[in-house]
Amino acid sequence: MTSLGLAWRTARRYRARTLLAVAGVAIIGALLFDMLLLSRGLLASFADLLDSEGFDVRVIASEGLPAMRVPIPGSADLADRIRGMPSVRDVALIRMERARVRRGADRPRVVTLVGRTQSGVGPWTVVRGASLSYGPVGSARASGERDSASLPSERGDCPVVIGRNLATAFALEPGSSLDVTATPAGIASALPSVACRVVGLVDFGFAGVDEYAVATTMDAFEAIVAEPSHGEADLILVASRAESGGGAAAARAIAGLRPDLRVYSNEDVVAQFNRNGFAYFRQISFVLSSLTMSFAFLLVATLLTVSINQRLGEIAALRALGIGRRRIAAMLLWESALLVGAGALLALPLGGVLALLLDHILRQMPGLPERLHFFVFEPRALVIHVVLFVITAAAAAAYPVWLTSRLPIAATLRREVVG
Amino acid sequence: MPASLVVEARGVSRVFPMSAGPVTALRDVTLHVAAGEYVAIAGPSGCGKSTLLHLVGCVDTPSSGSILFEHRDVAALSEAARSRIRLTRIGFVFQRFFLLPMLTAAENIELPQAEAGVAPAARRARTRALLEYVELVDRADHLPSQLSGGEMQRIAIARALANNPVLLVADEPTGELDETTGEHIADLFDRVHADGTAILVVTHNPTLAIRASRRLAMKSGSLVA
Ligand SMILES: Nc1ncnc2c1ncn2[C@@H]1O[C@H](COP(=O)(O)OP(=O)(O)OP(=O)(O)O)[C@@H](O)[C@H]1O
Ligand SMILES: [Mg+2]
Repeated sequence: MTSLGLAWRTARRYRARTLLAVAGVAIIGALLFDMLLLSRGLLASFADLLDSEGFDVRVIASEGLPAMRVPIPGSADLADRIRGMPSVRDVALIRMERARVRRGADRPRVVTLVGRTQSGVGPWTVVRGASLSYGPVGSARASGERDSASLPSERGDCPVVIGRNLATAFALEPGSSLDVTATPAGIASALPSVACRVVGLVDFGFAGVDEYAVATTMDAFEAIVAEPSHGEADLILVASRAESGGGAAAARAIAGLRPDLRVYSNEDVVAQFNRNGFAYFRQISFVLSSLTMSFAFLLVATLLTVSINQRLGEIAALRALGIGRRRIAAMLLWESALLVGAGALLALPLGGVLALLLDHILRQMPGLPERLHFFVFEPRALVIHVVLFVITAAAAAAYPVWLTSRLPIAATLRREVVG
Repeated sequence: MPASLVVEARGVSRVFPMSAGPVTALRDVTLHVAAGEYVAIAGPSGCGKSTLLHLVGCVDTPSSGSILFEHRDVAALSEAARSRIRLTRIGFVFQRFFLLPMLTAAENIELPQAEAGVAPAARRARTRALLEYVELVDRADHLPSQLSGGEMQRIAIARALANNPVLLVADEPTGELDETTGEHIADLFDRVHADGTAILVVTHNPTLAIRASRRLAMKSGSLVA
């Protein structure tokens, strides 16, 4: 009979103790697992969201969020130079404006209107229909080369992609039409509305669940806001080539071109997020995880200690029979490992279900990007979970092991008979 | 010193330091147990019988004097070395049996053999032979909770004999048993003795004590008679 075998038999014999310990560790473990998913979930989800846009470098005029809409002087020219860089695959100029969308007699909705120059990718993912198309490459290239006086109404075209929530609100699908009116802040005069045609339903990564967004070509955007860009965008998005150093390398090169601008790779954005708001999250989940682990430790250590105290006579007899200290320590360690291991294993499905539930609740917060999650599984969470529980099992066995290793055999045997 | 001595206590004392003052459990005790000898110790409660047995059985060391087990000074050995002697040279039988409750009778007998590194096949054969010896082959797969007191003590004796010890030490082995069952245990001890194993038994039970080849009496921490 090996030490593991002895531990297994002991666990089966003291069934109530085993069930208590396993159930306790499973519940505590589920909390710990969720804390681990939460401790980096938002960050991982945020990084995933950035990557899903298809671009990995963003250029803005000054510090702060792109939503501040400070135009970038000379964007068109800069875009051309960026496009010419070997590490760059794609470039898009972005402008944003508040607008109102109306369809038939329905109540109009306030939307964020996005204008984007020709680009092979998002910043969105197509759910149904098509993305914005510009015809054959070369007919309408970078915004700076476009004849900005030519209005889309003359071309007769305002293709838009819309978020799924707007599609649901207006019962829109690819091929439907809607009217878009720009409502820039601080401009009192009403602008004429422009008839647009839905070409696709998309997910805007960063749009909140309750926020409507519409994107169109830069030509159509300028027609809607009745104001040419003069080659000034609010934001320049760049897709790098992975083989030539990825976003970080491209960002460095672009910053070299224009030191007056802020250039962020996705990694920079995530790192900034990590340093700022997210640090609180990590600290809180560190404190809560530590507390959780000490509960698991106390539970198992207490149950083991109590059960060892009931078995001291047995153990003293084993020692009198020449069963070594090591064997008894190994048996106790295995006992602890079995209780903690079974609990920690059960904790994974339990924690998974709990995480889904909690994520669902948290994501009902208004204004959150639809694809942002709080609880995100990463393999490292599993590794940390396992490592923490191995430590807990060892720590919980430490006191009982110490207790039995210095057990006075003769006195214990005597006490068992006299007592 | 004759080579046939298994264990020898030379002027042994054992004092337990207590907060209310030291308790002297043994006072200058000298005792020899020769190979194959059967010695019984009797005496009133608290006279130090168990204390002496624990010293002879290498689970405790004297405050003064020395215990020589097969000519080796026990106090000079490490705990690991004493543990090894207990495992391979001594068999312990307790008043309360102390079988592991989660192991079957056969597994309880196998445990000390496994610890001593006996190969599984040899272990099973030896266990089978011991079960036959104590006439409990049909209870091999029973848990201690499914055995009577006398059966548990017979399994405990088989366990004590598992590694072929030179000395069997027993502290009140019939203390928890009725008279008839006690007599069966006494018969079993006779067979163990006849097979050449030395026995040192502490008992109040005259039926058991009478079988010994040498009977010693203890009083207030000293051997008398
Ligand atoms: N570990 C110990 N700590 C303190 N005192 C002890 C210890 N072991 C024994 N004693 C004391 O030593 C004396 C002898 O004890 P021991 O157990 O050897 O007696 P005994 O002859 O076996 O008695 P019984 O027949 O009741 O079992 C007693 O006074 C007892 O209180
Ligand atoms: Mg006693």
